[in-house]
Parts: sequence; C-alpha cells; structure tokens
Amino acid sequence: MITFDNVSLIYPHSLRTIFEDLSFTIEEGEMVLVIGGTGSGKSSLLRLINGLVPHHTGGILAGDVTVDGISTSLTKPGGLAHLIGIVGQNPAHGFVTDTVEEELVFGMEALNFAPDVMRKRVEEILDLLSLAHLRNRSISTLSGGEQQRVAIGSALVLHPKVLVLDEPTSALDPIAAEEVLSILHRLVHDLGLTVVISEHKLERVIGFADRIISISADGKAEIDIPEEILKRSPIAPPIVHLARALNLDSVGTSVREVRRMTSHLRDFTPLASAEQKDELQTVVAIEKLSHHYGEKVALRDISITFKAGEITAVMGRNGAGKSTLFKSIVGFHNPTSGTVLVAGTRPSDLSGRERLSTVGYIPQEPSDLLIHASVEKECSASDQDNGLEDGSTFAFLKRLTPTINGQAHPRDLSEGQRLSLVLALILCSAPDVLIMDEPTRGLDYQAKALLVDTLISYARNLGKCVLIATHDVELVAEVADRVVFVADGDIVADGPTIDVLLSSPAFAPQVAKVMSPAPWLTVKEALRGIASATGAESSE
Amino acid sequence: MKTTADIYRLSLQSKVVLTFTSLIALAGFLWPFFYTGNLHWIFLIAIAACVLLLISEVGIGSIDAKSIALLGVMSAFITLLRPLGAGAAGLEPIWFALIIAARVFGPSWGFLLGVTSMTTSALLTGGVGPWLSYQIFAAGWIGLLAGALPHRIGNRLIRGVSEKFMLIVAGIVAAFIFGLLMDLQFWPWVLGSSTQLSYIPGGSLSANFSRFITFHFASSMAWDIPRAILTSALIALTATPFLQALRRTHFKAAFVAPIEFRKRVEVRG
Repeated sequence: MITFDNVSLIYPHSLRTIFEDLSFTIEEGEMVLVIGGTGSGKSSLLRLINGLVPHHTGGILAGDVTVDGISTSLTKPGGLAHLIGIVGQNPAHGFVTDTVEEELVFGMEALNFAPDVMRKRVEEILDLLSLAHLRNRSISTLSGGEQQRVAIGSALVLHPKVLVLDEPTSALDPIAAEEVLSILHRLVHDLGLTVVISEHKLERVIGFADRIISISADGKAEIDIPEEILKRSPIAPPIVHLARALNLDSVGTSVREVRRMTSHLRDFTPLASAEQKDELQTVVAIEKLSHHYGEKVALRDISITFKAGEITAVMGRNGAGKSTLFKSIVGFHNPTSGTVLVAGTRPSDLSGRERLSTVGYIPQEPSDLLIHASVEKECSASDQDNGLEDGSTFAFLKRLTPTINGQAHPRDLSEGQRLSLVLALILCSAPDVLIMDEPTRGLDYQAKALLVDTLISYARNLGKCVLIATHDVELVAEVADRVVFVADGDIVADGPTIDVLLSSPAFAPQVAKVMSPAPWLTVKEALRGIASATGAESSE
Repeated sequence: MKTTADIYRLSLQSKVVLTFTSLIALAGFLWPFFYTGNLHWIFLIAIAACVLLLISEVGIGSIDAKSIALLGVMSAFITLLRPLGAGAAGLEPIWFALIIAARVFGPSWGFLLGVTSMTTSALLTGGVGPWLSYQIFAAGWIGLLAGALPHRIGNRLIRGVSEKFMLIVAGIVAAFIFGLLMDLQFWPWVLGSSTQLSYIPGGSLSANFSRFITFHFASSMAWDIPRAILTSALIALTATPFLQALRRTHFKAAFVAPIEFRKRVEVRG
C-alpha cells in the first residue's frame, strides 16, 4: 500500500539528511507504529506519505514514495486527499467548522460529493465512531477524546485507504486515549484500513501495532515486529525495560505476557520496607476550602497540608477540581470560603519578587508563559525579574538541556525543550511551592526522565514542596512520595504513593501490575526488591 | 527549478481587471465633480459589481492553500478588532493590522486582505449598505499601498526604527486617504440640498470642489485626526512584536522553498 524506496530527505536551510536510504513497504490493512526520539523525523516521515513534505515545506527528496501506486513526486497533496486521511496531535488546530456534523461534511463538500452520498457517509461515520449522540454539539464543548474521534471521523468520511496519525493520544488522558486507540484497532480489523501512527507513550499503543518503524538519531530506520524492535530500542515502555533488566528470553508487549514470563520471580514474600520519614515542615495549609463557579461546586470543604521536601501527585478525572485547587494555591482567585496559606501568607496578597519566590506555577500549556522572541531573551528577562546575575538562568537551562539553541524562538523548540525552558525560568526564583499542571503531555521518555530528575533534586536537595496534577501513572510511580486523589470536588484518597496506586488496578503502573502482589512501582524498585528478597546479586 | 507555492501575487490578467475596476471605482468616488445628470445610482451598482468581478477574478487565479490560510486568519483577526472600535469619531482599530500585515506579505496579498477583512467585518458590525463597496475598494487600496512600500533604499534594508517610522507615516496617510474617500462617497447625500456645504447637482466644478473641501475639513477634525492618532499610536506600540510574529510566519510557511526530486542523494556528514 505504501512503499518507500531509498528515501532520503534534506530540508531547505539545512545540511542534515533526515533519513538515509529508507526503504520499506507497508501492506494493506497493517497498523504500523513509528517511534523515535524527538526531532528524529517521525513527523517528516508521516508527512512524506501524503506529499506535504516536500510539496509544502520544500526540500530535496531522493528516492521515491508511492501510495497505492501513486508517486508523491508526481502528485500534489491535494491529489492524494481522497486516498490518505491525516490527523494531527491537537485536533482543535485542524477544525474548520463549529459543529460535529458540519465538520464531517466539510471535506466532502470541498471534494464536491453528491448530497445523498454525503448524507449516507455522515450517518455511517457517526455510527462507526459512536458519535451519533454528539452530532449537533459544538466541537469546542467536546472532551479531548471526543474531539480526536471527530478529527478521525472527518478524515475517514472520504473513505481513504490510508490513515496517518501524528501522536493522536499524546495530549489525552488514559481513558480518552483508550477510546481513540480501540476505535483505530477496530477500523484496521473491520475495514482493512492501513494505519500509520506515531506516538510517545508506547505503553498505550504497543499492543495494537503489527509492526514498528524505529528511527534512530543518526537517520537510520528499521522496520520489524514489535518484539524484535523492542529487544534493542532505547525507547521502550516500562515493562520492556523490566523484561530486559530481568534478562528474560523475550520481551512482552502486554502485562499479561510479562506476568506469565515472570511467575517464578513472584513465589516469595517480599520484605516490607517501611521507611520512617522525618517530620517535615508544612508549606501549604488549606482549611475548609470551598470554591463555586456560579452554581457549580468545584471544591467542597477541603482540608489538607503539603510539606516541604515532598512531591505530591494530584490525580483525578478532568473536571474533578484539580485545577481549581491549584488556582486557589497560586492565588488566581479568592476561595468562596475557607483559607489557604502558602508559607504563612494568603497567596492572593503576594506580589512582585515575593510572589516569584513563594509560588511557581507551570500551566498545562507551558508556552503560555513564554513571551519573548528567543530563548536567551526569556532567560535574561527572568534574570532581571529575580534580581539574578546576568546569564544565570541560561546557565541553569544549559545544565538541563545542553543542546538547546539560545537563538531559537521558544515556539520552535520541541515539547521537551520548551518544558525545560519554562522549568528553568520558574525554578530560578526558587519558589517554596512548585505547581505543575499535566507536565508530561507530549513528552518523550528522554524528556520525561529529565523532568523526573529535576523535580526529585528540587524537592530533595532544596527541600521545596512540589505539586503535580497528572494522569500519567508511570510518572507518579517514578517521582511522587504521596498521592492525593480528587473526585467531584472532594479528596477521596490521600496517602503514600504505593498505598494509593496499588489499591486500584486502574491506577497501577505497568510494573506493579506485572509484579503484583509485590509492592513495587518502578523497574528500579522491582530490581532492588527482587535482589534483596532473593539475596542475589543486584543486577543494576 | 520547482519550488513550493509563492505568496499570492496578482497575475497579469488580474492586474488588468484590478486597474479597470479601480478606475470605475475612482469615477464612483469623483462623480460629483463631473457628472451633471441624475443617474448616480449607477455607480452604487457598478462598484458592487466591480467588487464581485474582482473577487471572482482573483479567486479563479492560482491562489495557494497557504496564502488562503493566512488570508483567513488575518481577516478573522481584523474582523474581531473592528467591533472594538467605537465605530464613531474614526476610532477604527483595524488599519494598523492591515498595514503591518500588508507590509510583510506584499501588495497583492495586502489588497486581498483589505477586501476580505472589510467585507467580513461589515457583516459582523452590521455595516452592510451601499457604502460597503466603496469601503472595500478603499481598504483594498490601502493594503496595496502599504504592501508596496519599499524594502530597501539603495543598499540599506529598511528594518527596525526606520521601518516603524515609515509605517507610522503610512498609517497617518492611510487614515487621511480613507477619510477623504469616505467623505467623497457620502458628501452628496449626507447634508440634504439646502446647506452652505451641500453638493450642487450640475454645479460648476470649482463651486462643488470648494464646498467639498470645506466639508472635508470640517469632518476631518472629528474623524480623520482621531483615526490618524489611533492608527499611528497602535503601529508605534505593536509594530515590533507584530512584524516579528508575521515575519516568522512568513518564514515558517516556506514560500518559494526549492523542491527537488532526485534518484539518489550523496550523503555527506
């Protein structure tokens, strides 16, 4: 269906080849996953398929890309529109109309379909993607998962033979991601659609993929079945790392497989290792906090404290009250009733440098904090705001990501680099409380590891309080000391990470599911646990 | 060599149509000085027809997806700006955006932006009427002129402070041109026939001209001066970041980037 024949690509204003002699064939009805580090060319590969590269971007394309026998060098992207559907990372950027039904019809109108065909196809897609109850809704009121389904629907309505998706679930919470992926799975199996998908969060998609294209940093790419690629690939989900660390014969792609392979490791009783913590100083004290938006109750009667040196993960559904809680702590609004004290003062009374050194807030979209035209300008503005020596923020940033280009525009950075930049700007004023809303959206494993290290050293070495709202259980398992679970404006669970995560299978990270009932959340913990329990040499 | 599509440029045929329709529109503005009969309604219809002709002409021409997208986004932006102005006393916060955008994307695209943004914003503010086609031409011409401002004098590239200064001057000139054209357009209708400043149908050129000049300066105090002040102040405030953002867009859109298809490529470091 899709053939790459000795493809190499060079962008204008660049001397680097993105791929070198890339050759592979994707058969009809296959679901192929593209993995690779940030900037390795995943998006370029996907856009080569429908000719957006190089027809829209310019560049030198060597070799040949054909889709269903049509060469992209001879046909412009418009001529492939009926054949290839493309869905981006943020569906909201691609919508052109207001309601679901109109959005589905739009593509067909542009290609001049007959009205009765359009009507039939819309009904068909509404059923196929379970969107019928949303047909008259305004798109902006839909949840992320629903929006992504509409985006897929508006691509499918043209009956393409190939569907290309660029990180379709990176910005979604686990439940919405599941929703989107199971629909893709069904499309591949029921309609024989060919799907090419790129994704950072491998643990979500790996089970659905027939084959994987792995692009390495030096432009080499290989294509093979998941088990083979994952044996070697540096990019892999936690269970694969676990399987490798335990020297299993093969790597599994699902919890079930790895659990079967490791049954011999679980027939001993793990030692309980309860560490006694020192009494820590309270930084954030919240008492009987309630917040209403008009009639709607966002938080009701919450009392909780957060301590210095502690990393707390706040979890819960969208709309459960996580963001409202954070906004109250940051001081964006005054609570309807109750008190919030941060380092002894009401956050809404803080201003200027005092505010910077008390509360640091990184919103869901970190680029909202970036206003200058280059990385260096952002850093020097932060030096000025915090009264620091010239260049100290940039030096700190360089320690986080040595490869960052100071002249680059902040919006041209990769997600990981942008988050590093924002972290550097915020951490330079050393706030007593650091608050992050969904920090891992769109981050690859490398950027995530960097985030984990930065947060842990900030909390441990500097004794600061860190709060994170997230859906990412793997991140929570790596970094959090404590988990607070919020539902419908109430705190329903609050305790050490192990207790809260293990008490519910839905929130357990992959390693915990494999190793259950042993209380280990991460690969490191599991290795250490097994080593100490069996008395064997640690394989670390 | 093959390249990606260029930013929209008027084709030769479009240029001819633009010149032709502009001449009719100009006649539509100037008729009170020359025309003695009773058929001036014709111009209201003729100019609307010219707008339609022009839009269909440039629409048929090869306008690329990227130019369309840019045009859509900027028109929407200007459309949203328009209701922010009081609509009275010439406080129209749209000209600075039109001028700066046209500066970056060139005269042809600037002309189109003037036309589309004036049309869509009129729909939003309820400003649809016989005057609309006059306003559309005036806005299109202003976009065209702003886009045609020079980019270098001799060997010196006009950027930074000198560019900002030039745009401020352009803003002031545009504010007065628009005022002059709008006055021309409604002066024959607005005052009735009995005042000292009224249009005299069939009157001599000199009599009508001096009446118009007096009328224009009277209204100019109330409309054009506030418009010029607002436009130049907004340009002074926003030109630097606005130009930067749009130039970055221009770069990202990769207009006229070379495309090359080869059998193989020699891979070097």
